[in-house]
Amino acid sequence: MSAAAPSRHITWSRWRLLAIGGALVSLVLIAAAFAEFVAPFSPYDLDVASMLQGPSAAHWLGTDEIGRDVLSRAIFAARISVEVALVAVGVGLLGGTVIGIAAGYFGGLLDQALMRFMELLFSFPAILLAIILMASLGTNILNAMVAIGIIFIPGFSRLARAATNDVLRHQYIDAARTIGMTDARILWREVLPNVMTPLLVEATVAFAYAVLLESALSFLGLGAQPPEPSWGNMLNTGRGFMAQAPWLSIVPGMAMFIAVLGFNLLGDGLRDALDPHLRET
Amino acid sequence: MTAALAAADVRPHRLNHRPATLSIDRVSVEIAMRRGKARVVDDVTLEVWPSEIVGLIGESGSGKTLTALSVLGLLPRRARIASGQIRLNGDSLADKSDADRRRLRGDRMAFIPQDALRALNPVLRVDRQVGEPLKIHRGTAWSRAKARAVDLLGSVHIASPEQRAREYPHQYSGGMQQRAMIAMGLALDPELLVADEPTTALDVTVQAQVLRLLREIRDTHGTAILLITHDLGVVATTCDWVYVMYAGAVLESGPVARLFRSPQHPYTQALLRATPTVRTVQAELVSIPGQIPLPFDLPQGCRFADRCPKRFARCAEPPPLFEAAPGHVSRCWLAEAGHG
Repeated sequence: MSAAAPSRHITWSRWRLLAIGGALVSLVLIAAAFAEFVAPFSPYDLDVASMLQGPSAAHWLGTDEIGRDVLSRAIFAARISVEVALVAVGVGLLGGTVIGIAAGYFGGLLDQALMRFMELLFSFPAILLAIILMASLGTNILNAMVAIGIIFIPGFSRLARAATNDVLRHQYIDAARTIGMTDARILWREVLPNVMTPLLVEATVAFAYAVLLESALSFLGLGAQPPEPSWGNMLNTGRGFMAQAPWLSIVPGMAMFIAVLGFNLLGDGLRDALDPHLRET
Repeated sequence: MTAALAAADVRPHRLNHRPATLSIDRVSVEIAMRRGKARVVDDVTLEVWPSEIVGLIGESGSGKTLTALSVLGLLPRRARIASGQIRLNGDSLADKSDADRRRLRGDRMAFIPQDALRALNPVLRVDRQVGEPLKIHRGTAWSRAKARAVDLLGSVHIASPEQRAREYPHQYSGGMQQRAMIAMGLALDPELLVADEPTTALDVTVQAQVLRLLREIRDTHGTAILLITHDLGVVATTCDWVYVMYAGAVLESGPVARLFRSPQHPYTQALLRATPTVRTVQAELVSIPGQIPLPFDLPQGCRFADRCPKRFARCAEPPPLFEAAPGHVSRCWLAEAGHG
C-alpha cells in the first residue's frame, strides 16, 4: 500500500513509468502506422543474392532465408500486431463491459447465468481456446482477432462486474433513482463513467497480452499467413536457422519484448496516474 | 376559541378543502426475512399539507426512513407495502405503474438525502447534476438545463454560482453540497420535498443555514416538506407539525409548539428529557432504559410498555390514538378521557 504522503518521489516514479511505457508504445505505434515510410525495403522484396546475411550497412538487421530485409519485415509485422491487438481488445472491452455491467447491475439470475458462462470460458487455457475458435471459424487474421477478443471477454466482464458492484453501493445511484432516472440512463450516466478507469488500465495490459497471443497463433501457423510478416511467423522461420542466422529469431523476439514491455509499463503508469487517491495531491 | 378553529389555526389549508399534498393512510411495510415477515412500518397515518414542514422523528430503526422510501416508491427489494394508501395530491400511488411512479420522482416529488457528497456523482460537474431533472423529465437541452442550474444554485445561496456550477462535488464544502442537492430537488418546483436527515452530516452553523433554507423554500414556493430527523432541536426550530415514531408506529403527533409544551406520550416525554439543553445543567445525561423492540417480536400491547415508567395494567392491550387537543393525538391509554 502506497497511500503515502505526497512526495516528489511518488510523482516522479509515476511519470517515469508513463514516460518510458509511452515512448516504447509510440515506437511500436509509429512503426505500425507509417511502416511504408519507416521501413527501408518492402517486406516482400526478395534479394536472392543476399540470403541469410548478417547485419550490414545495406540491411541493418540482416536478411532472411530468401533474402528479405528483416528490419522491414519486423516493422510491417508491427502493423499486424497492433491491428490484431486493437480489434481484439476492442471486442474484449466492449463485450466484457456490457456483460459485466449488466450482470452487476441487474444481478440475480442474469448475473448467475452470465458469470457462470464467463467462468466456463475462463477455465480453458487461452491459447487452447483460441485454437478451438480458429478451428471452427477458419484460419485467417480476422478470425484471430475475434478469437483473441473472445478470450478477453471474461477478464473484462469480471472487472466490470466488480467495479459496477462497487459503484452500486454508492448513494449517488440511489440519488439518481430519486430524481426519476431510468435504468438505462443510470447505467450510461452514473455507472459507466465510474467503471471506465480500471477497464482502460486493464485494456493496456490486455493489449500486451494480445500481441503475445497473436504472435503465438502466427507461430503455430494459425494467425498471419506467409508471406505476410508477423513476429510470430518470423520467429517460427528463425527457429530453423538458429545456428547460422540467430538475428532471424532475435529481431522479432526483441520487437515483441519492446511492445509487451511498453504496454505493460503504460498500463502501470496509467493506473497510478488515474488513481484518485494519488491524484488529489 | 373553539376546537375546530384552533386546528385551523395550525393547519389553515385544511379549511380550503384541498387534498393534502402527501397523505399516508394506514400504511404498513413488511420486509421478508428468514424468520418470516417483519412489519417495520405499522399502520402509519401521516399528512403533509402545502406550505408546511412536517417533522418525522424517531430513533434509528424506528421505520422513519422506510416510510419515506415507500412514498418515493423506492423500497428495498425485500420490502413491500402490505396495506394502506399513499396519495400525492389525492392521486393514489399504488394505482400507478413503475414507469409512472418514476416520472413523479424528481418532478412532482423530490428527495434530499442525508449525505450530499455521497449522493453526488464524483465524476460529473455540479451543473450537469443539478440540471439533470430538467433533462430527464422535460427533455430540456443541456445548454438550457445548465443555465437553469446556475439560477438554482444562486437561489440556494451559493456564492458566484456561474463559476461554482462548473466545479466538481468534492470542491464544495459540506453545506454547499447539501444546498446543491436541494437545488437539484427544486429544479422542477416539486409539490413535495422529502428530506432524510439532511443536516445530520453537517456542523451546527451550517445545519442552521440549511434549515433556514428549507423554511425559505416552504414560504416562497409553498412546498410541502417532510423532514425526517432524530433531532428534537431540528423539529423545534423548523417544523410546523411533528409525528413521533417508535418501533414502526406513530406514537404521538400534533402541532410542534403544543406537542413540545405538553407532550402526552411517555415516550415523547422521555425523549424531551433525554435532550440536553443549555439551561438545565444536568449532572448526568438522561437516557431511556432498555432498547427498541425488534420488529419480529413486538409486544402484544403498547410497544413502548417495556421501557415505560408509567406502565399500568391497561398497557397489555394495544392503545388506539386518543385526541388530547385539536390535532394533537397520542397512542397511550393515559390520554384516554379521564386520565388526561
